Amino acid sequence: MDADRDLLSVSLEMDLEWRYASGESMERFLLGVGAGRLEAVRCGVCGRRYLPPRPFCGVCRVRLDDWVPVADAGTLEAWTVVHLPILDGRTGEMRPSPYGMGLIRLDGADTTLNHYLDTADPSRLTIGSRVRAVWREDRRGAMDDILHFEVLS
Amino acid sequence: MNPIAVIGTGQTKHSKARLDVSQPELIREAASAALQDADIGPDDIDAVVISNMEMFEGRAFPELWAGEGAYAFGKPCVKVATGGTSGTSACIAGFHQAASGEFDTVLVVGFEKHSEGHTQTGMALVDPFWDRAVASGALGNFALSISQYMAERGVTEEHAAQVAVKARRNAANNPNAHLQMPDLTVDDVLASRMLAEPLHLLDMCPQSDGAAAIVVASEETARRRGSQAAWVRAATTRHDQPYLGDLDRRLVTMRALRDAAQAAYTRAGITDPLREFDIAEIYEPASYAELAWYEALGFCKEGEAGRLITEGVTAMDGELPVNPSGGVLSTNPVGASGVIRVAEASAQLLGRAGAHQVAGAATALATGYGVYAWSDVIVMRTEKP
Amino acid sequence: MNRQQSTDGVSVLGGAETAIALPDPRSIAEMALNVVERALEDAELRWSDIDAVVTASVDLFDGLTASSIAVTEVVGAVMKPETRIAADGLAAAIQAVHQIAAGAYDTVLVVAHGKASMAHHWNLTSWAMDPIFLQPLGVDFLTVAGLQADLIAGSDSSIIRRWAELAAHRKRTARGGIGESFTIDEVLESPVIAAPIRVGMCAPLGDGACAVVLGAGGGETTGGRAVIAGTGHDLDSHHPGDRDLTEWAGLRRACLRAYDMAGITDPAVAFAVAEPSCLFPHEEALFIDAAGVGEQTVLSPDGGLFAGTAPAISGLGRLLRATKAVKGNSGHRALAHGTWGPAGQGQAVAVVEAR
Repeated sequence: MDADRDLLSVSLEMDLEWRYASGESMERFLLGVGAGRLEAVRCGVCGRRYLPPRPFCGVCRVRLDDWVPVADAGTLEAWTVVHLPILDGRTGEMRPSPYGMGLIRLDGADTTLNHYLDTADPSRLTIGSRVRAVWREDRRGAMDDILHFEVLS
Repeated sequence: MNPIAVIGTGQTKHSKARLDVSQPELIREAASAALQDADIGPDDIDAVVISNMEMFEGRAFPELWAGEGAYAFGKPCVKVATGGTSGTSACIAGFHQAASGEFDTVLVVGFEKHSEGHTQTGMALVDPFWDRAVASGALGNFALSISQYMAERGVTEEHAAQVAVKARRNAANNPNAHLQMPDLTVDDVLASRMLAEPLHLLDMCPQSDGAAAIVVASEETARRRGSQAAWVRAATTRHDQPYLGDLDRRLVTMRALRDAAQAAYTRAGITDPLREFDIAEIYEPASYAELAWYEALGFCKEGEAGRLITEGVTAMDGELPVNPSGGVLSTNPVGASGVIRVAEASAQLLGRAGAHQVAGAATALATGYGVYAWSDVIVMRTEKP
Repeated sequence: MNRQQSTDGVSVLGGAETAIALPDPRSIAEMALNVVERALEDAELRWSDIDAVVTASVDLFDGLTASSIAVTEVVGAVMKPETRIAADGLAAAIQAVHQIAAGAYDTVLVVAHGKASMAHHWNLTSWAMDPIFLQPLGVDFLTVAGLQADLIAGSDSSIIRRWAELAAHRKRTARGGIGESFTIDEVLESPVIAAPIRVGMCAPLGDGACAVVLGAGGGETTGGRAVIAGTGHDLDSHHPGDRDLTEWAGLRRACLRAYDMAGITDPAVAFAVAEPSCLFPHEEALFIDAAGVGEQTVLSPDGGLFAGTAPAISGLGRLLRATKAVKGNSGHRALAHGTWGPAGQGQAVAVVEAR
């Protein structure tokens, strides 16, 4: 075969829909988010307060059902500004870029939350900064009910 | 695990788009090269293991159609799927099959044809309630961990750029490699487009079309090969908690890789990895990852990774050449990338690595990596256990 | 090499499955956690006794890339060796048997999960067909099953009625499960979904999870030992025109390997029970023929897949049923079967022997 020649190809378009069950702990968490409330689930053995909440501590191998309140403010543990647009896995549309992304340890949680950052003034993004959630008005019980986190002065 | 060895390897020419072949034909290229290298025929293969990230091509059960390329029809064949570690996990599955006593010879083939699908769609199908609403893809996730790693370990953009340069220059000696850049400089890397601070375009792996294969043999079959066998002395897997924020400072700690390496070294009797390994093929999807892996794999103390790359310790003529093939930074057909690591480590021990051969290589390391949470570590020697 | 020796020491230590539901409102992780906890209890083991985990799932069915991420924590795989076979759960169990026989691990947990309620299952399967020659024609696993049934039926119209009888019988004997029961006439009057297959002839698909614990050596749990005496799997040709669809040659090859390993010379008298993974009645005849099981073998005592099944779990569930069927009756054997792909392209079997 001529290795330089491109072969004929067929194009197939995927249009698929899945219905995902949230699970009890994620459902409770998201219903809380819709009401502007954040909660973590705490492991009774290691004491770790998990975000996202989940049914089971993978480290201690025990079920989780001890809920603790979490603030919508915390500490920026890591940040970046992404300059490539990314595909939105829910809509199939591209999200605009650049955008800020951070790992935030909310007050009252032991894991970090990955979420968008307000990049109006990128010079304010430093590890250890205090940040606070900026909520949407029209909440529907999803992670993007928080628009992004902004750095507190 | 009962002794087994790799007796042959094969790879395709990897490139941005292999428009000259179909998926089964791509697989066939690597599979037939591996059989030729092992000097056996398709009928000598007892079982086949396939590795592929099917969502990148928008497929399910790719082996049902493309398995023909791996001579799999009429034989036992399964597909192993563990994300980024799929390739190394498929190799380990092949090791277990050959060590089980049921099969004498197992063919492992990994492939990806990114050009035929939409890789971002595959990457976007993450946890639908958490990450899908706030995703930043592989790039953003890397960048987040890197910012912590740089802050804690004193690693600089220049250190990372040196890794990127080493990889592409090594790749220039590997005819199969995708990105071959013999004249690349640190300044070129730093001047390349900023993707996600601090990651430049040339700090990241490409997306490649390509396939790689290894032939695994049972102890009895491998022993008949004399010196033409690369013996697997340890193969360990560790998986960790799934969410990005579950583990503190992932790149800094890399708990799964550290633990897998420790277990593998103990089993294989490795106490000083930098001195005892003659060559390492590690799965480094970003320049910074290679530096973090140096520490997690025990090549140096914490905070010394920058010194290792600057002093050329891991260069082709250094104490431990890391990724003579050019690594994932030069070639990344995801489902094949782990198989490439094992194939390259094996080819080095078999003395068949061509222009990027490390002379007299007798002890080799291969690793697999997936989203910080998944690690495979494989130790191989020319010496039979 | 001594093939008999290789897996002689692998036992089924315990297992559990969810009742198939459509939908099961639980998340994938919740379903998996439920069966893993119960499987450990059944095997009288603790989490720390598990050396490694093998899961079975299919990304496209789960709508997740690397879908095993969803269960890593609940299957207890954090900081443990975990791998995944993207096929039927029995193929995952066979990989676990290989791990144990290789001397890599002593005790391995096998978990399969799938939710047909998440998407249009048969539509998804079109993405597993040759994208150049078959998928553009709209071919999926159901289409190929229809072609297969039509080839077998030929011009014999009585066979359709026999299939309807078999489907109604299996459904009637099914314990629990999902899907309506049909009379034979109702089966024959139900809508055609892939001629000559009618809705009433299909085993109902739902959501489910299954976990089985395999162990090296003794496996002396309550009620005796169940040894996996032989395993075999096979991948046949893909194109419907490349193989004889009126037989399951791949299953025949898989069985030869398993029987060879188990020291079975006459399968017609070897098994007390067989648990085939048949979604349609025509597949049962293909199974009997390829596996060579005889009239004294009881097929699908619980109704088989007609009690309901879920993607990726069927064969692992069959292994669990086969084990429970013979355990405690020393010397009795059962045959478990799993399949994936169009018209049985992928085939797996395991011989379970009570000691």
